[in-house]
Amino acid sequence: MVTPGALLLALILGACTTGEGDQSASPTEGGTSATLASTLRFGGPPECPERPFCLIGLQETYGLEFAEFVPLDVGGPITVEALTNGEVEVALLFTSDPSIQANDFVELEDDQGLQRADNLIPVIRTEVLDASPGIEDLLNALSGALTQEELIALNSRVTVDEEAPDDVAAEWLADQGLDQADESIGAGASIVVGSTNFYEQEILAELYAGVLEANGFEVERRFQLGAREVVVPALESGEIDLIAEYAATALEFFNEGAGEATPDAAETAGILNERIAERGLTALEAATATNQNAIVVTRETADQYGLSAISDLAQPAP
Amino acid sequence: MTDQPLISWEWVAENLDLIAERLVEHLALTGIALAVGTAISFGLAFVIYRRRWLSQPIIQLTGILYTIPSLALFAFLVPITGLSLLSAEIGLVSYTLIILIRNILAGLDGVPPDVREAADGMGYGPWGRLWAVELPLALPVIVAGLRVATVTTIGLVTVTALIGQGGLGQLIVTGLLRPGIFETMIYVGGILSLVLAVVADSTLLVIQRALTPWARARA
Amino acid sequence: MELLAETAAWFGDPAHWSGTDGIPSRITQHVQLSGLALLAGLVLALPMGVLIGHTGRGGPLAIGIANIGRAIPSFAILVMVLPLVLGLGLGLGFWPTIVALVVLTIPPILVNTYTGLRGVDPEIIEAARGMGMREHQVALKVELPNALPIIIAGTRVAAVQVVATASLGAVVASGGLGRYILDGFARQEDGRIIAGALLVAVLAIATDQLFGLLERRGVSPGIRVGAIRGPNG
Repeated sequence: MVTPGALLLALILGACTTGEGDQSASPTEGGTSATLASTLRFGGPPECPERPFCLIGLQETYGLEFAEFVPLDVGGPITVEALTNGEVEVALLFTSDPSIQANDFVELEDDQGLQRADNLIPVIRTEVLDASPGIEDLLNALSGALTQEELIALNSRVTVDEEAPDDVAAEWLADQGLDQADESIGAGASIVVGSTNFYEQEILAELYAGVLEANGFEVERRFQLGAREVVVPALESGEIDLIAEYAATALEFFNEGAGEATPDAAETAGILNERIAERGLTALEAATATNQNAIVVTRETADQYGLSAISDLAQPAP
Repeated sequence: MTDQPLISWEWVAENLDLIAERLVEHLALTGIALAVGTAISFGLAFVIYRRRWLSQPIIQLTGILYTIPSLALFAFLVPITGLSLLSAEIGLVSYTLIILIRNILAGLDGVPPDVREAADGMGYGPWGRLWAVELPLALPVIVAGLRVATVTTIGLVTVTALIGQGGLGQLIVTGLLRPGIFETMIYVGGILSLVLAVVADSTLLVIQRALTPWARARA
Repeated sequence: MELLAETAAWFGDPAHWSGTDGIPSRITQHVQLSGLALLAGLVLALPMGVLIGHTGRGGPLAIGIANIGRAIPSFAILVMVLPLVLGLGLGLGFWPTIVALVVLTIPPILVNTYTGLRGVDPEIIEAARGMGMREHQVALKVELPNALPIIIAGTRVAAVQVVATASLGAVVASGGLGRYILDGFARQEDGRIIAGALLVAVLAIATDQLFGLLERRGVSPGIRVGAIRGPNG
């Protein structure tokens, strides 16, 4: 009776005495002289350590090794909270995230060109596109109107003002004159628009669905299906027909991180199309709006170390 | 982030169809798990009833299944059966077994021996006696088990959102992903699943009383 | 088979045995979260249970509330307390998880303490009073020890639930073994997923067994069955 009880007690007491900050950083492990980054904690999505445009890229392109990687969420409120609370000093958010401005965070410039063109791009089953070729012009017109400012504004209305994505989408389509109907284009063909849990992809999916519905398609919405790992197989198997993707991330997903994406949207979309053709998928025209990884610090941290670009993190540790 | 109210009723009003859809998914996930769980449990309980020596291994095994945390159980299944309805249901069904089997057996064991003898005397065969005499008498205890299994399953279904299977947990997860955290979705999902559990429990209690006017409810 | 090999390889990688994300550290975090929450739950629920169990006042109300509390899905409570805890400035991870876990421990401990105390043979209580014991002495020296097996059984339920739910804490950026499962999902690493699931499952079963042992062994021989009836029996 004594041993397990004592063990439990020892562990609990251990928690009390060492507290939470027992994950002492050892900045100089790398051998080379310590950089600022090696004294900072980096927070990002759990998959970040294995993604070419996250930790791997930060290390290979910028030579940055952080003191610790803290798994958070995919550029969501948990990451924002961790950054505001000082639980991490550097974090990964997304360029289209309205909370960067809302919290006065500083997005560090990607001065070495690590990030690739993550422009929003519709990915559709080729079979469905061939059956209704009119879809291409409709979605290309939509993508043409979607600038970075428009995308941030759409995101802000849904997340900060808590408006419903379908209302926001319908209004935006009307404002852009994209809801002008030609029902003969769809002629009653049915199409399933899918989306991950990510609100932005859901807004985009609502936009796609709205345009298609206005033009005579019978649209079924399958939203909040989970992560890309769930949605892409569903697309390939024909459970859904159309999703909103991000050019570079999608390409690196399909080519399993081969590093083929470039900072150029059209070029990246072209390679993406080569990679997904055999899977029966087609990527249409990319929007100018991007949602790329943004390496972000608080205003305080930026001022303290004089940070404006990612390579500033490689300065010697103070 | 801003001082918005805890629950935005405007959002609720505008998203009644989404909420209803998640609620129906939740009910469906729960219903399938309970139906399959009940069927398997009756099967196993009858087997144990006939072959007593099987009781220990079956009870132990289902007991261990019950102890495995839900996230871990789903995690075992995902690499094998994928992020699928099947994974969710295998997990959910596993948790109902020990509760239901224990109560079915306790109910059957609670039938007084003289009642059994009387039934034998009236010419019932073993299965006839089980169906016509013992099961009806065991019903209050069995339904009591079903109530516990129902409440447990409704709670566990919120976790299946983590493997992409919808239900009210999906509202919770989505609310957690929104910039600034969208509390309304989290509370609507959480509170509705609690209400669902309480309503389901009370409904089963009423059914239990209606079905067994001769017995006072034991829980 | 491939899955087994992947899992074995994951366990075999020395990198997975050191640092914040290493197995010893994740187990420690998990046990710390669970242990602290269980202790806090006992501190809160035990005196309350003894009080209402001894006096009988407010019993049905407390039990009613506790029973509804049992229907709160653990995952929902975990995420629901997050905005509240963040509002208090307590940060992510540790505190939201602890608060949710404590909420979960209260119903089983409270209900069992109350039920256990109410179940003590009135004759024993009368005998204690007859011996000149004061009310608090009756509650602490007679009723509480007699109710101990039932209280430990309730604590066992709470402990197993806490260990299970602590793994969901990873969703709100807490440490613990749940990290391996969620990170494994995100990284599509089956070995990591299965390893995490194995560790959590073993920890939960060990907790259950440990408390089962306490349930059987932790009761003073003076009040084992038989003695309960007391001199009058």
